[in-house]
Amino acid sequence: MTTQTDGTDGTDGTRGTDGAASTASTAGPAIATARALVKVYGDGPTAVRALDGVDVDLVRGELTAIMGPSGSGKSTLMHCLAGLDRPTSGTVEVDGEEISAMSERRLTRLRRTRVGFVFQAYNLIPTLTALENITLPLDIARRPVDRAHLEHVVDTLGLRDRLTHKPAELSGGQQQRVACARALVARPAVVFADEPTGNLDSTSSAEVLGFLRRSVDELGQSVVMVTHDPTSAGYAHRVLFLADGRVVGELRDPTPARVLDALGALRTAARQ
Amino acid sequence: MIRVALRGVRAHLVRFALSVLAVALGVAFVAGTFALRSMLGSTFSDIVATTTLGDAYVRGAQEAGGPSSADLSVGTQFNRVPLTLVDELEAVDGVAAALPDLQGPVVLVGADGMAVQSTQAPSFGFGYDARDRAAHLVAGRAPRDGSEVALESATLRASGLALGDATRIVVGGAIRPVTVVGELGVGAALAGATVVFLDEATARAAFAPDGDVARIAVNADPGVAQDELVRRLTPVVHATDADATVVTGDAQRADSRAQILSLLGFVTTFLLVFAAIALFVGAFIIANTFAMWVRQRMRELALLRAVGASPLQVFASIVLQAALVGVVGAALGLAGGLGLVVLLRAVLAHLGMHLAGRIPVDGFTILVSVVVGTAVSVVAAAVPARRAALVPPVEALRDEVSVPERSLRRRAVLGVVVLLAGVGGVLVAVGRPDAPHASAWLGAGAAGVLLGVLLVSPVVARSVLRVLGAPTTAWRPVGRLARGNVTRNPRRTANTAGALMIGMALVGAAAVIAATTQASTRAIVEHEATTDFILRVAPSATVPRQALADVRAVPGVRAADAFSSGSVLVRAGAPGEPARAAGALAITGIDPAAIGRSIRTDVVTGDFPAALRGGEVAVQRTTAHDRGWSVGDRLTLVGTAGQVPVTVGAVIDSPAFGVPLVVGQAVLDRLVPTAQQQVTTVFVTAEPGTDLDALRAGLTSAVRPYLVVSVLDSEQFVSQLADQVNRVLVILYALLGLSVVIAVLGIVNTLALSVIERTREIGLLRAVGLGRLQLGSTITLESVLTAVFGTAVGLVVGVALAATLPRLYADQGLRTLAVPWGSLLLMLALAVVVGVLAAAWPAVRAARLPVLEAVSAE
Repeated sequence: MTTQTDGTDGTDGTRGTDGAASTASTAGPAIATARALVKVYGDGPTAVRALDGVDVDLVRGELTAIMGPSGSGKSTLMHCLAGLDRPTSGTVEVDGEEISAMSERRLTRLRRTRVGFVFQAYNLIPTLTALENITLPLDIARRPVDRAHLEHVVDTLGLRDRLTHKPAELSGGQQQRVACARALVARPAVVFADEPTGNLDSTSSAEVLGFLRRSVDELGQSVVMVTHDPTSAGYAHRVLFLADGRVVGELRDPTPARVLDALGALRTAARQ
Repeated sequence: MIRVALRGVRAHLVRFALSVLAVALGVAFVAGTFALRSMLGSTFSDIVATTTLGDAYVRGAQEAGGPSSADLSVGTQFNRVPLTLVDELEAVDGVAAALPDLQGPVVLVGADGMAVQSTQAPSFGFGYDARDRAAHLVAGRAPRDGSEVALESATLRASGLALGDATRIVVGGAIRPVTVVGELGVGAALAGATVVFLDEATARAAFAPDGDVARIAVNADPGVAQDELVRRLTPVVHATDADATVVTGDAQRADSRAQILSLLGFVTTFLLVFAAIALFVGAFIIANTFAMWVRQRMRELALLRAVGASPLQVFASIVLQAALVGVVGAALGLAGGLGLVVLLRAVLAHLGMHLAGRIPVDGFTILVSVVVGTAVSVVAAAVPARRAALVPPVEALRDEVSVPERSLRRRAVLGVVVLLAGVGGVLVAVGRPDAPHASAWLGAGAAGVLLGVLLVSPVVARSVLRVLGAPTTAWRPVGRLARGNVTRNPRRTANTAGALMIGMALVGAAAVIAATTQASTRAIVEHEATTDFILRVAPSATVPRQALADVRAVPGVRAADAFSSGSVLVRAGAPGEPARAAGALAITGIDPAAIGRSIRTDVVTGDFPAALRGGEVAVQRTTAHDRGWSVGDRLTLVGTAGQVPVTVGAVIDSPAFGVPLVVGQAVLDRLVPTAQQQVTTVFVTAEPGTDLDALRAGLTSAVRPYLVVSVLDSEQFVSQLADQVNRVLVILYALLGLSVVIAVLGIVNTLALSVIERTREIGLLRAVGLGRLQLGSTITLESVLTAVFGTAVGLVVGVALAATLPRLYADQGLRTLAVPWGSLLLMLALAVVVGVLAAAWPAVRAARLPVLEAVSAE
């Protein structure tokens, strides 16, 4: 666990970022907010500044993609937003609650009830069936299962005939769809997806991403997704670009082509 | 490859720590056993060396019975030699002294008014002769007459008496007031024995009332060699009509030492059985550790194979690691075992049992420890190592290493075959309990059943655990997760539980045997004893004859029937016929009138009371069956006092007697000198109409002066016997406890390794909101389920096997099967506790895993 060390904070939180991007969107009330977020790994001369003063507002009821090259800090940002990692300084608010100073116990409760996760791989507990995996967060929280909602999610994801299977008996795409169902069934405030299609072929990717988008459009879910794939980012309402620990750009209603253009522009800007 | 192997151990020291510990515990047991044997051996060798100092010994020429607890003899006894030989021996040129071996049981009253007795060690009186080199005067003077005694130094300290103190001794069956006048040293630690020296005349009267002794030591004049002495004595001895022979002092000492070592051999074998169980259980831990290690390192091993390592090299690197674990464990175990013996000696010394000062570390102990530790480790790791060697190199290139679960079919088939063979063996034994090799069949069958169950257990683990875990599913999500984890890899769960299974099978069997023994004893006493009171004597003591007379004089006593016992050699056939030796057998003598008066015996054939009255012998049914004896057969009984030809007059079936041969008291007196007979039990019957409470008070005050005799009614008698069984049970539990401890280490080990293996999964669970307490509970429940599974299966096997014993050993008194359900439930409860304890460390470890690191762990 990292401890907060105020001395390493060199930013004042309001410093503007270069480029055309504004860091805060005004398109709707924020489901998750970061202010002056700094994350430093290690200390002394070998310290790595993974996040260097990030301000973001993630809009409720939108699918937000976070993009950036390796080492840009996109995963760190998501981990801090999701309460999996503690920022060195700065604040994070999720669904109206400040989580950067929460105890481990409260963070666990937050993850249990307000946040859903989809990881790149190893998403499912191998000893549980697909259905048991889907209802796992509810079991953990000892909350009753909303049958109608469960049926709806299962049908939307086309998992009905797979519910009694163990993860080892499912294809990669099916496993990720089960993971999505698990993330959604507890109706969390926000779902964080970390490269959810990183291990999938293009057909399965399209299924999963299409479903994430539909969950936003039809169920009113809020989703944050980290990806390095422009095609995946094309499914988002909004794309945030990160480089060297800072937000360096933003794109609304992206298409894969516009995302590629924006990435190219960023690369050129970085070279100058 | 060697470097890879060594780095592997160094990088995962913690992972191997529990394996090392398991080996260390098993080896400590082995090393401790051998060191204990060496220590006991040297203690008793010292006793022989410092007390058997004659240059030659004159002893009987005929073997006459087995070991007797009435004197210090172990092993074979010989007929006794007459004291009249002493004068003739001393007349021989070159003889400095001829010292008859005057010794026998004695009770010494200490300063606290209680009998001086430490632990279970015996208490002896010796006739003191100043010419005897074995004892030397430390303080005071030698006893001169029957009112004086000298005490051995350790005995003097233990008694709390001082020179000049007045006390009492019970010797030759009577109480005698005496004064302590001297302290004598014998130059060896006497292992807690109480030793009292009497003047020679008193000792002769008490220990050789019939004028004969077991042997006579002869000291030579200076310059006369042992061989020369024997040459000079032999014609003198042969000239008399005594049936005696002369051996050198060295031969006598070697003989005694060999007999002691063979006696210690039984103790060693007994302890080594438990050491072997501990090591066998330890092997499970090592096998599991390496199996899981291989599973986790699949990709690394495949990489080694991809860059050109041969399967043999991979195999060797793992076996080398196992050998390292074995050697380190063995070294720790050796140190631990010796430490254990040092501790044991200190504890025993504190209890008054002094043993030789040396803790022998001989090459043999070291060699055995290291070889056993290493061999067990290497053998246990061989199967996982073979598996690792066969990893296809292509696995290194796979993104996700899939470990195919090997089919359990082969194991299941083999297990069922072994199990059925084992059950078959048991059935053969149960079906024909009188067959000559029934016990061997049962033993082999039981081993087969246990092994078969161990082999089959992974196959049945899934369904058994599903049943055991059923009540926990309500506890969501913990119950379902835990059950999923223990059934995920049934082979691993079963192997982990297997260690506990073995220990618990033995515990269950021991508990049933103990309960059955107690129930049977109760049934036997109720069935056979018609007596009102029973006199019992302290261990390794005998009821003094004077006490018997005093008891008979108590008003209201109709009869006091003593059971006198000894040991005789039996030859089938009448004198003159070609004799067929039948070995040494225990024999009991009783007043024929006691039959029907204080004991009721089931007679198979013949007339039991008439046989005893007519000087015939009664034989137990099993003995008669084994030796092919029936009523009317002629036997010759050979005791230390003489030979008696007898006829088999009755075949009886009496666990109460519990010895193969029963004769009238008069016959026993002709076989074994009364001073050498041991009386452990006396049945007292009241006159009709006597107030039993008053009688009891009278009996108690009659035996009180003798200190070692207690008055019991039949209920107390049964519970006293039950106490003895329980004491043995406690020792058994303590010995089995070690294998249970190792089994618990195995559970800790498996859980800890499986937490490492499941790091990513744990991270995921925590990420979706599983609390630390819930995670800890899950792991604890896994542990409890594993422990309960092992315990339940083990107890079922143990109880089932032990339940066959009454059919086989009804003759040895195991007649009434009793299953101690309470104790068995207690064992199950213990398994839950064990499971919780074993889970503590792995659970805390898992709960402390940082969520993010766990989620992104490789």
